[in-house]
Amino acid sequence: MGGLQKKKYESGSATNYISRNKARKKLSLSLADFRRLCILKGIYPHEPKHKKKVNKGSTAPRTFYLLKDIRFLLHEPIVGKFREYKIFVRKLRTAYGKAEWGAVGRLKREQAFVQIGPHHQGEFTCFESSGFSSRSFILWGCHVMNERLKPENLSDKRYPTFIDALRDVDDALSMCFLFSTFARTGKCHVQTIQLCRRLSVEWMNYIIASRSLRKVFLSIKGMYYQAEVLGQTVTWIVPYQFAHDHPTDVDYRVMATFTELYTTLLGFVNFRLYQTLNLVYPPKLDGQGELSLKSECEEDYALESESYSEKLSALSASLARTVPSVEEEEAELDHFPAEGEDLEKMEAREKIELEQNKQKKLFEGLKFFLNREVPRESLAFVIRCLGGQVSWDKSLCIGSTYDETDETITHHIVDRPSIEKQYINRYYIQPQWVYDCVNAKMLLPVEEYFLGVTLPPHLSPFVEESEGDYVPPEKLKLMALQRGEKPLFTEAAAEEEEEEEEGDEDEEEEEDEDDEDEDDQSEEEDEAEDEENLAEMEAKRAQGKRLPVKVTPGKVKPENRMRTEQEEKAEEKRLAIMMMKKREKYLYDKIMFGKKRNVREANKLAAKRKAHDDASKADKKKKKKKC
Amino acid sequence: MMAAAWRHKRVAASQPGFLPLKSNLGGDSSNVKRRKRVNKNKKKSWNKFSDIQDVEEFLEDVRLQERTTGGLIAEKTDDSLFFVDTGDKDEKDKDAQPETTVKKGKHSKPLRIDLILQPDSHIPAPKNVLAFQQPNAKKQRRTSDRAAKLASMGILPRREKLLQLRRAAAASGVSAKKRAVANNNPDRTFYDLWTAETPETADPYYLEQTKKKLVKRPDRLNEKPSVLPAIEVIAPGGSYNPDFFSHQDLLRKAHEVEVKKIKAEEKLARQLAVNEDVATEETTFKEQVEGLIEEEEIEPEEPEGDTEGTVTGPTATQEKKTEKQRKKEKAKRIKELQRKAERQVIDKRQQLFQLRSISADLKKQEQRTKMRQAQRKAQQEAQKSMPRRLGKLKFQDPDLDVQLSNELAGSLRSLKPEGSILKDRFLSLQKRNIIEPRDRAKFKRKYKLKFSEKRAFREIQ
Repeated sequence: MGGLQKKKYESGSATNYISRNKARKKLSLSLADFRRLCILKGIYPHEPKHKKKVNKGSTAPRTFYLLKDIRFLLHEPIVGKFREYKIFVRKLRTAYGKAEWGAVGRLKREQAFVQIGPHHQGEFTCFESSGFSSRSFILWGCHVMNERLKPENLSDKRYPTFIDALRDVDDALSMCFLFSTFARTGKCHVQTIQLCRRLSVEWMNYIIASRSLRKVFLSIKGMYYQAEVLGQTVTWIVPYQFAHDHPTDVDYRVMATFTELYTTLLGFVNFRLYQTLNLVYPPKLDGQGELSLKSECEEDYALESESYSEKLSALSASLARTVPSVEEEEAELDHFPAEGEDLEKMEAREKIELEQNKQKKLFEGLKFFLNREVPRESLAFVIRCLGGQVSWDKSLCIGSTYDETDETITHHIVDRPSIEKQYINRYYIQPQWVYDCVNAKMLLPVEEYFLGVTLPPHLSPFVEESEGDYVPPEKLKLMALQRGEKPLFTEAAAEEEEEEEEGDEDEEEEEDEDDEDEDDQSEEEDEAEDEENLAEMEAKRAQGKRLPVKVTPGKVKPENRMRTEQEEKAEEKRLAIMMMKKREKYLYDKIMFGKKRNVREANKLAAKRKAHDDASKADKKKKKKKC
Repeated sequence: MMAAAWRHKRVAASQPGFLPLKSNLGGDSSNVKRRKRVNKNKKKSWNKFSDIQDVEEFLEDVRLQERTTGGLIAEKTDDSLFFVDTGDKDEKDKDAQPETTVKKGKHSKPLRIDLILQPDSHIPAPKNVLAFQQPNAKKQRRTSDRAAKLASMGILPRREKLLQLRRAAAASGVSAKKRAVANNNPDRTFYDLWTAETPETADPYYLEQTKKKLVKRPDRLNEKPSVLPAIEVIAPGGSYNPDFFSHQDLLRKAHEVEVKKIKAEEKLARQLAVNEDVATEETTFKEQVEGLIEEEEIEPEEPEGDTEGTVTGPTATQEKKTEKQRKKEKAKRIKELQRKAERQVIDKRQQLFQLRSISADLKKQEQRTKMRQAQRKAQQEAQKSMPRRLGKLKFQDPDLDVQLSNELAGSLRSLKPEGSILKDRFLSLQKRNIIEPRDRAKFKRKYKLKFSEKRAFREIQ
């Protein structure tokens, strides 16, 4: 009994957590360095369950880390490097202050040769000229620290397997694509921007080579892409060109640190992916393509040193392979004898596989030409992902493969109301057609996308409607098209439109009538039964009066098997509902109510839409009449 | 001055072969004064009264000669001083000269300003010694001497040595030292990171102790702090060319958010509003006459009860119980206990008949706990996707990116992107609990600003 009284906050959750400032002091790092370290090592803050206990009775909001995590960080050799660098900077600053140029030179040389490498010398001169505020120290400091992120740490620590890395590549891609569009104005290092550009081009080239693009969505924010890479769904967002304003409430240093991590990750992922396709890494253009690309006016676009990477980023030529490319044999799914659910699943899988194969070769044999006002890179990427050929004006960008005058061009993508010179044997379409084709996994009718035509809405491929939801009529039409049904009407036949529409309406009405007919029939049947019953009753009454014993030949009552079955089922259901317990009944009612509500809302929306369409149609008619 | 002239002659005469330029040295006789008699026993008077004019005149003459002719006349050769005058040649020159001058005209004639600026003395300007001096010349001379000496002994300087080493290494094809490449170098190379490495054969304990092997990263760290996806795709209404109703849907959502915000603001304003009573005529009048009108004093009625008989504190003394009373109480207690025990037995027996209801109760209880468990689990699941409170600031959902119907672009070309992806990414990291939400640090002045009026500029008041 007895013993020492336990003190507060000496065990339990109070000792499991550590506040950020304490952690920082424990590691003897500055806050900026601590942040960098945490990002690079993947250590995140935690929210303790009992904050008051952890905070030793105080309720002040603080950032907490798990003590174990910080202990793990203590073992990191990188921490030592951070400290070393801090000391180096301090020494250098002192030497500058005392104007000991010999010491400055010696320090720089030592640091340069030991850790930095020759290419940083230039930055140090920058640092000299900037009058070395502490900020620039930190800036360059951060930069020099770059080297300390050893990729080895990345592999066996953060991403033990390649698939783990692939799962996390969404973030990396978005960040790289974003940074590669930055202007080289000093918001971040030019080198970082270049690296990001290189990596994103490599990624796009891989997606093209593997033809794994699945979905594209043009939003007001940016372009969303989805690809399936080695069975993993990868989604990323690409900003539109020249869409930047630099927001002030974003911590650029934090973002730059993330980018540093993600560029490293993406580089290694790219390498591995290129290996899986037997592509040369760093990517090389295919030999034949290279020859054909060598046009005489190359120098106009880029320096000699940059022209190769520029050509790579043009995305118009295929890449070289380590093993001479054999036509990819169709990888057919193995067939195993299966039963029941497995069989269904198999079938579904096969169907999906078939669909994907079709999608991969959607644009094969088609030749596109991009006018200069369309987003070149995005379109070239998407078209090449589906196997199409693409080119653009020579003066627009490097790497154009054929001219506008080429007779074999099938589709000319234009985004202006009209074009002067038109060739007969090609379609002039708006860019949305390409994206909608990707999402629909089929070649959509071109008519709705012609020049100057009001486009159908661009639907999000990322939405999956569940039963009872409102589905926009455009999507319904699309689904019908995918099922292989003929489109009810197309806007191409603009003159016949109205007539056809009327026809459609007629059809619909007919359908409605059909439904009504069925109802009528059933009603009639009911009436007939009733009549029979009545007759029987009367007969009975008559029997009661006269008591005539009479045997009439039995009539075979035609039994509607389907109907009885249905009735039985309905009866069963009714009984089941009756037998339900109160609570279950309540829940059931709720579910049913929800379903009905959904249907009701969908109906309402559909009605609204119809009204809207009618209104717009009426407007159109009026306009036509006016014209 | 006679004496001075005489002395000058003496000085000049003492110089062998000196030719004075001015011949009127002895000409001025008007300046002759009587000799003054002074004591010459003090140095001051020596300076003051000794006559050195002859020497100065001599020196003046020397300087004049140097200035005008560039040296002492006496030292000049005869050729430079004299020439044989043949008259006709001079005339020829005179004839020739005007022609050339006419020809050359203004071009050859130097400007007057140049002529003024021309040095009129023939003595070359003295050399600027400082201009020819080298800083650290002595030190440099010494170091170069030492380097030469070392070179003669065959010892190369360090820089040279390193260079040679590097060259040799390059020639043999092995780089002397592998230098780390910066992470953001656009030309950096990558390799296969996930190849199966050859397992370490060395003793793991040794490796750990010598810090050759890093501490194993705990698996806990590879868990993501949130279940949210990295990229949250915008609602279908955010398409650049949206379907009418999905666009309306998105607009409605944005509208709801806005309404909520306005409501909160209004609420705050309401709460902060000063609840003031506006003075009416009646109240102002009342205030004015306050205390002037004598009112009937209504004294509060005092409570009826007398306070005399009440006890102020508890009675301290209680009478002692008698033996009889105690026994009675004990018996009562025992009886009560017995009654309770009996009751329990009966109740237990009764429970046998209540079995059904008890089991129903139990079932109910179990069901309740199950339901609560499910609820809690669902709540936990929902919590996983919620942003946590990781610091001073709470994560707040950013405004929805929406384009109004009239802002929507008809075509891709005229599309005006909405919002910033950079910010979106930053907030996504915050939402997924990877970094804590933060505000930009506000600028805080350490010292107060001090105003001082400068003389050159006066503030207009």
